Amino acid sequence: MLNKKNPKKQEKIKPQKFKKNKKFSLRNIKILGIRSGLDMPFLILVLLLVTIGLVMMFSASYPNAFYLHKGDSFFFIRNQAIFAIVGLVLMLFVSKLNYQSLKILHLPILITSFVLLLLVLAMPPINGVRRWIQLGPIGFQPSEITKFAIILSFATLIDKNFEKMGTFKYGILPFLIIFLPSAALLALEPHISCTVIVILLAAIMLFIGGIKLRWFAYVLAPMLGFLGYLVLFTNKLTYANSRIAGWLNPFDSASGVDTWQTRQGLYAIGSGGIFGLGLGNSRQKYLYIPEPQNDFIFAVVCEELGFIGAVIILILFATLIWRGIVISIRAKDRFGTLLGLGLTMQVGMQMILNIAVVTNTIPNTGISLPFFSYGGTSLLMLLVQMGIILSISRGSNIEKT
Amino acid sequence: MVRGSTIRMRKRIFLMAIIIIFVFFSILIIRLINLQIINARYLFKMANSQQLASTKLTAKRGIIYDRNMVPLAQSATAWDAVLEPNYIKNDETREIISQGLSEILDIPKEEILEASKKKSSYKIIKKKIDSNLKDKIIDFKAKNNITSGIRLIENYKRYYPMGNLASNILGFTGDDGQGLLGLESKYEKVLKGEDGKLVSAKNAIGTDMPYDYEHMIPPKDGDSLVLTIDSNIQKIAERCLKQAVTKNDARNGGFAIAMDPQTGEILALAVYPSFDPNNPFELCDEDKKILENTPNEEKTKKKSELLSAIWDNTVVNSLYYPGSVFKMIVAAMGLELGLVNENSNFNCSGGIKISDRIIRCHKRSGHGPLNFEEALCKSCNSAFISLGQKIGAEKFFDFYNAFGFHEKTGIDLPGETKDVFFENMQPIDLAVASIGQNFGIPPISMATAACAIANGGNLVTPHIVKEIKDKDGKTIKSFSTKIRRSVISSETAKRVSDMMAQNTISGGAKNAYVPGFRIAGKTGTSEKKEKLLVPGQKDYMSSYCGFAPVEDPKILILIGIDTPKGGQYYGSVVAAPSGGLFFSEVLLYMGIKPQYNEEESKKYGIEVPNLIGKKTSEAKINIINLGLQPVIIGKGEEVLSQVPSAGSLIAQNGTVVIYTENNSENDSENNKVKVPNFIGMKKSDAIKIAESAGLNISVSGSSNEEDRIKTQSPSGSEYVPKGTTVNVVVHNDNLRD
Repeated sequence: MLNKKNPKKQEKIKPQKFKKNKKFSLRNIKILGIRSGLDMPFLILVLLLVTIGLVMMFSASYPNAFYLHKGDSFFFIRNQAIFAIVGLVLMLFVSKLNYQSLKILHLPILITSFVLLLLVLAMPPINGVRRWIQLGPIGFQPSEITKFAIILSFATLIDKNFEKMGTFKYGILPFLIIFLPSAALLALEPHISCTVIVILLAAIMLFIGGIKLRWFAYVLAPMLGFLGYLVLFTNKLTYANSRIAGWLNPFDSASGVDTWQTRQGLYAIGSGGIFGLGLGNSRQKYLYIPEPQNDFIFAVVCEELGFIGAVIILILFATLIWRGIVISIRAKDRFGTLLGLGLTMQVGMQMILNIAVVTNTIPNTGISLPFFSYGGTSLLMLLVQMGIILSISRGSNIEKT
Repeated sequence: MVRGSTIRMRKRIFLMAIIIIFVFFSILIIRLINLQIINARYLFKMANSQQLASTKLTAKRGIIYDRNMVPLAQSATAWDAVLEPNYIKNDETREIISQGLSEILDIPKEEILEASKKKSSYKIIKKKIDSNLKDKIIDFKAKNNITSGIRLIENYKRYYPMGNLASNILGFTGDDGQGLLGLESKYEKVLKGEDGKLVSAKNAIGTDMPYDYEHMIPPKDGDSLVLTIDSNIQKIAERCLKQAVTKNDARNGGFAIAMDPQTGEILALAVYPSFDPNNPFELCDEDKKILENTPNEEKTKKKSELLSAIWDNTVVNSLYYPGSVFKMIVAAMGLELGLVNENSNFNCSGGIKISDRIIRCHKRSGHGPLNFEEALCKSCNSAFISLGQKIGAEKFFDFYNAFGFHEKTGIDLPGETKDVFFENMQPIDLAVASIGQNFGIPPISMATAACAIANGGNLVTPHIVKEIKDKDGKTIKSFSTKIRRSVISSETAKRVSDMMAQNTISGGAKNAYVPGFRIAGKTGTSEKKEKLLVPGQKDYMSSYCGFAPVEDPKILILIGIDTPKGGQYYGSVVAAPSGGLFFSEVLLYMGIKPQYNEEESKKYGIEVPNLIGKKTSEAKINIINLGLQPVIIGKGEEVLSQVPSAGSLIAQNGTVVIYTENNSENDSENNKVKVPNFIGMKKSDAIKIAESAGLNISVSGSSNEEDRIKTQSPSGSEYVPKGTTVNVVVHNDNLRD
């Protein structure tokens, strides 16, 4: 109500508050200090998920590490743990920074995203897809940057154009200019799952940003139609098509579709039963599930911790999302709300899609599970993004515990 | 208060949050319930079936012992050479392994190479290799530093330590250790035990998971059989049978069954030719020649024919025509019915007319007037045919049934066959049946019926397994004597026995006479009706059935010699001497003391005293005083051992060898002598020659001084220690049955 009636007044107040905070934070860099204003429930949830994620990643990865990396069972966990520690330090550091300064960075980050997306197409394909850019020992997926770039630029632009979000010129066009090439480049890699996430993220942010609901029909319908057309009627995405065939019939290997991964994942989940086989006791991780430390790590979690363990982890994720939403709603400015929601939604979306894939609820597509799946740079990115949410929480009008 | 969000934003945010948290999470949780609770069992089973590999742990097969616990069949540890292709890391190793195993196991290299490329964790390359080859493989692995890819899995190999001995009873086992013939097959369930298994978790490439999941079901070893067979009696029976078969050129071999007539226990069951159960698929040399002359396309068929012929246990699985041996049964019928007594008069004119056929007696001129005992001793066909007529078809068949000829004896050997008898007996059938012709019975059935005469009229169930013991030697089950029924009175039985004993002294069974023992016997010759060597020519089955001692029979033997072509074919000449030889050895072995009459006692019955521990000089005088010849080996002061042992009865001027020095010397060639060839000699000459050779001689068979020795054991030119007793049989070739 205040916003609508007196938007200018509000904007005047904000910088003052912010300055105060900045000074405060620069003087006392206390890592976990309650007085630093961090949202403790969110921080604890992140720490819990990182810890559980590392333990499960270690459990899931060690057979593969043992067999494929010359008996070095710690091959994966060592990398991941280093990135986790660096990531947590970065997260706390970022949480002390003023997230509003990201507004200025939105354009450079967006340009970086486009450059990298173009660059990745020039990379040699791995398993027929071009998703990775390798810089020495560290590899990363530009799509991680793209997701962040979309969230950031959307949040910036929605905040800027907030009053005119109902119009095409301000509410739709700028977003389409950012979004369409991004999605197209991702689809070219091809990286269908990431494209879907980007589409969903863009839609959610625009939806919250207040565009007219009919635009969803105008924009999304033809896009979904095109995607459907690619999958169902062309040979270009036969690889995606066969995944759908395998999805419908994971136990029928006669169809010529390789459903090995899905099938092995389902065996693992089922084997866990209600109470699980116990931590470290998965059998399916012994080379049955290909790369159990990656996308299918949740299958190993289900096998070892059972239905109860799986539900507890789902609840942790749900709580994290809820807390992220609460932080965002209570953010001190609209940009914070939008940015926080975008980042929270990205985690939520990825987690839901990943588990849906592992449980064969949707066709198999490569989506990693936040906090759990192996991948140093993406864990780093994730924790930096969590840091941003924590930074937003510092200014949020919520009770700090 | 609220700065970052407008009301519309909050509305939309809440809508979204509700969708995500409630709808999506609910879908995921429902999905997990479906997978982890509803379908958990199925998925777990599917996962298990790919994760678990089980290895069979073979149970150790039970041992087959003879009655004195001498093992006849036992299982020794052997190893299966197993290839584990999944554990072989690269092509280079594959090459080394294939080359090495090919050399050690004598298998084409390509075969192993191909197997090593299969996606499998278990591929048997060769079964049941012995410890020698196993050690070679272990050496090879060590030398080439191969730690995985080849495994040796414990298995068992069946060994028959006595070789051919009793092979037709024992049978043999197949590749998987399963019994295929004889007792091995009949008692498969008892002997086999229960295989165990080792279930272990395997990862997706088929190697072991470093995960503690191993579940072992230990194998349960098989139980052992203790047979009624006495391997020593079996040896004697096989030797006597072989001698008769070779001597008489019996084209279809022969059989010998020795039973304890009181209990029905089979003491020996010999079939010739036999096979080596250690190599049951190998033909004997003679058969190999036959196979070589067979056209190629029929070789496989011929080989299996020849093999099944030697595997056959003819005593149980085939029919035989008892011929005159059956007359003991007919005599028992006559006496039991009171139709005849020993002194009843018969008259033989050389044949008897039945309907429009004349059945001849073997003595064409006829035996003339003779009493019943003489009729049995001379095996007069005319007399027995007329006795048969008196008995009548109905009563004859009743007795035939009572003696158990028309049913299976119930012996615990596989494949017992049943008799082939006249369906509706006509007078001519009755006539030929009375002399044991034209009907077939399995030999075991004849032996069992003869046991009834020997034991006082009881029809027993012949059996070959005495006890079943578990692996710790505890008896689980014992098989006692089963008397099926009483067939004839003990008095009748005794009267028939006495007549048969007389037959050994003065009749057709004379060639089976052993001095010092009363042996009841009956010989028989039957014309074969089927499987003739040359159609149109006559083939015979010659047999002898006897038991001793008559007063309290301890052993009964039935010997059959099939198709003798050595010139003689009467049972009295072909089979009876074998019986004599058998009894002369086996009765002493069984510890049955000979009862010599005064004259015989002087000749044969000198008991060897115990000399062990005595001074050498003292022992020497002792022996000389008994009318025996001492042979002293070594220079010791004291007697350490002696041959024959104390208590043995030997003939006048027999040799007693006294050993005075350490045993190792005793077996040296110097102390062995070559057995002279006694064949063709008169008894008196043989005794002299044996004396001078330092051997003892035991003479059985005909007591006629002019008759010649035709059978001896050990055979001429064998080397035996001094003092050994050589058994010889004097044949009377003119005897008829």
